[in-house]
Amino acid sequence: MPNTHILSISFPAILASSVHDIKNSLTSLRALLDQLEHHYQDKKPSEFRQLEFETNRMNNCLMQLLTLYKIDLSQFNLAIDEHSVTDILEDVVAQQSTLLALSNVELLTECHGDLFCYCDNTLISNALCTLVNNAQRYCRNKVLLSATQEDGYMVFCIEDDGRGYPESLISSDYKQLPQIDLANGNTGLGLFFAETIAQLHVQGDKQGFIETDNKSQFGGARFKLYLP
Amino acid sequence: MAINLATQKILVVEDQSIMRETLKHILGSFGARFIIEAESGINAITAMRIDKFDLVLCDYNLLRGKNGQQVLEEARHLKLLPVNAIFIMVTCEQNQDMVLTAIDNKPDDYLIKPFNRQQLLSRIERCYTRKKYLANIEHEIDSGNLYQAIHHCKKLLQLDDKKMHLQLLKMYADLTIKVGDFKAAESIYQDILQDRELPWARLGMGVVAFSLGYYDQAIKAFQELIEQYPVMLEAYDWLVKAHELLGNNEHAVSSLNSAVTLSPMSILRQKKLASLADKTENLPVAKKAYTATIKLGKNSIHGSPGDYSGLANVYLKSNAANEALKILYELNQQFHNDPEAKLRAALLETAIHQAKGNKELTKQAYEKVFKLNEQFNKQTSRELRLEMAKTFYLNGNTETCDGILNDLIKTNIDDKLFIRDIVAMCDAVIGPNHAETLIQQIKKELVDINNKGVGLFQEGNIKGALSIFEQAITKMPDNHTIILNMVKIIIHDIKSSNPDPDKIMTAQSYINKAVKIGIPHNQISGLQAELDTIQYKTNP
Repeated sequence: MPNTHILSISFPAILASSVHDIKNSLTSLRALLDQLEHHYQDKKPSEFRQLEFETNRMNNCLMQLLTLYKIDLSQFNLAIDEHSVTDILEDVVAQQSTLLALSNVELLTECHGDLFCYCDNTLISNALCTLVNNAQRYCRNKVLLSATQEDGYMVFCIEDDGRGYPESLISSDYKQLPQIDLANGNTGLGLFFAETIAQLHVQGDKQGFIETDNKSQFGGARFKLYLP
Repeated sequence: MAINLATQKILVVEDQSIMRETLKHILGSFGARFIIEAESGINAITAMRIDKFDLVLCDYNLLRGKNGQQVLEEARHLKLLPVNAIFIMVTCEQNQDMVLTAIDNKPDDYLIKPFNRQQLLSRIERCYTRKKYLANIEHEIDSGNLYQAIHHCKKLLQLDDKKMHLQLLKMYADLTIKVGDFKAAESIYQDILQDRELPWARLGMGVVAFSLGYYDQAIKAFQELIEQYPVMLEAYDWLVKAHELLGNNEHAVSSLNSAVTLSPMSILRQKKLASLADKTENLPVAKKAYTATIKLGKNSIHGSPGDYSGLANVYLKSNAANEALKILYELNQQFHNDPEAKLRAALLETAIHQAKGNKELTKQAYEKVFKLNEQFNKQTSRELRLEMAKTFYLNGNTETCDGILNDLIKTNIDDKLFIRDIVAMCDAVIGPNHAETLIQQIKKELVDINNKGVGLFQEGNIKGALSIFEQAITKMPDNHTIILNMVKIIIHDIKSSNPDPDKIMTAQSYINKAVKIGIPHNQISGLQAELDTIQYKTNP
């Protein structure tokens, strides 16, 4: 007998329900951490920072997993709308605020003028959050998140002052997941996700894409997301 | 812009106690003092009946009973939320089902779990800023003064705030459509589309075509949109309307069925699908949609006795009287002290016993219908009243039947689709021309009343004319001609005597009503302008 109907519930339903449960747990976990943190006055143990980073990462991973899975099943539809770029940057900073408060990293933002972007803002801010979260880990003490307009594209740029991307992650083909980085920090998956999301954004004959190099103005890694 | 949470009444709706604690803690750290908690949808509604909240944070996945969307729907439907209140839906993921179901009743924003204090605060502040910016427009919309709302929109647009520009244009275009100024709407959408292909502006072009009566052109526009954006529910909804008005009920059912597949949780769409499929004798689809409506209705303000009798009637049509009986039982279980439910139940009982061939029980049930009708007829929905008329006719009481039909035609004479339903019922049950004759009589009566009123007006007997139209309005509250003439006479009256604020208000309320029931812009805008001039003179 073929084993096609072993599961009485569809896999997407199981995945969605699991993600839902884990997210609730993560929310509770964060709430508990927050309460725990209040027991400490000025000097908080450095473990809190690590915990915050890890919960951020778990959350980002889950969201990417679910989105990529839906894209794979062609069940995904972008929710494109007009969004203020400063709002998107603000969302990323807000998401990172707890971690920032616990570390000595400075997250700067720069937005040139009243910019607007036609995009799925939930996805874009998630992709940016993942990468900023990683930048915080690999930088020394400075990350800059900026947005500018270039040839009809909205460009989001993340620059840090760390040691830069390893050779294998520089403007390679992100569709080929670098094996090495999947086991060792999820930078590769984060970039792959950003690239996938960027490509879903199409306007006329223009399509979104990403670029990575080590030309940060602070001497570290630089990531750029182009949206038409 | 900083918001002072200390002065805000806040409601937190969340089934998990740890999350409630967390939210309270965070809000408290931002100065909030008045925080009420609810762990279920029902409790949230009760809380909103007691207090008028400024901010509601509501979890979407509530463990039992209503979900967050159903809470929002009910709160808005019962007007429990003040116009400037902020409603934020807290969710685990922005899933498509949820967002699509919310299309007709959107929260001010979504907040995705997990979030930290900064994320929560920045979301609240952003909503607050936007609400404050649009407050004047929304207040006027809420009180039905659409022309005044348009005026505010134009004023804000002149300030050229880039951040709000498109949102304002969208509101402006929506409002021009609502008051029937389709040319203005068209030019707004065209300007937007020249800059950028935006689905809502493209949809707007279709709505303009639809409103001008170019149904084929509208259908083409909606179909193209659906091809390009397969989850754009508004396009389906308009497509359904266009098919319906063209009398293509089969096409309407199939488009609506696609929309329901995308948003199975949307009770109003399920309900509409059920009744449309029922009309086209598509019993399998009707059965499925009625069943879904009943299930959703248990947690929704839009659940109604009609869903039960609809399903039971479908069973009767498929010769399953016993199934129908089960539904009748459920109907009686679900609703208490509801006249509409009682009437529906009695009607159903009559039909079921008739189907089973039990004459004595049929007669008893029919007598119940008769008694309940005398008590409640006017308080029930027009669809139910039409069914009552049918039952009376089938049981030989043609007089009561015609009484109801006359009344229904009078009050709905300008509603093409409903008049079509009346004609269809009469043609099928009573015989050809019955409805037509009644309609002609009523139209004649209307012309007579109108002529009499206008005659008195021309003789200078304004009081007499007003009283004729006032009487007519109580009989036919939604009649276009009568309302328009009423406004004209009141305005004339104001002009020829001292401007009386009460009279100005009465005239404005009739204009608002005229807009609401869909009287075209070109017939109203002149009257609104006249009234504005009077108002400006008395209160510059």
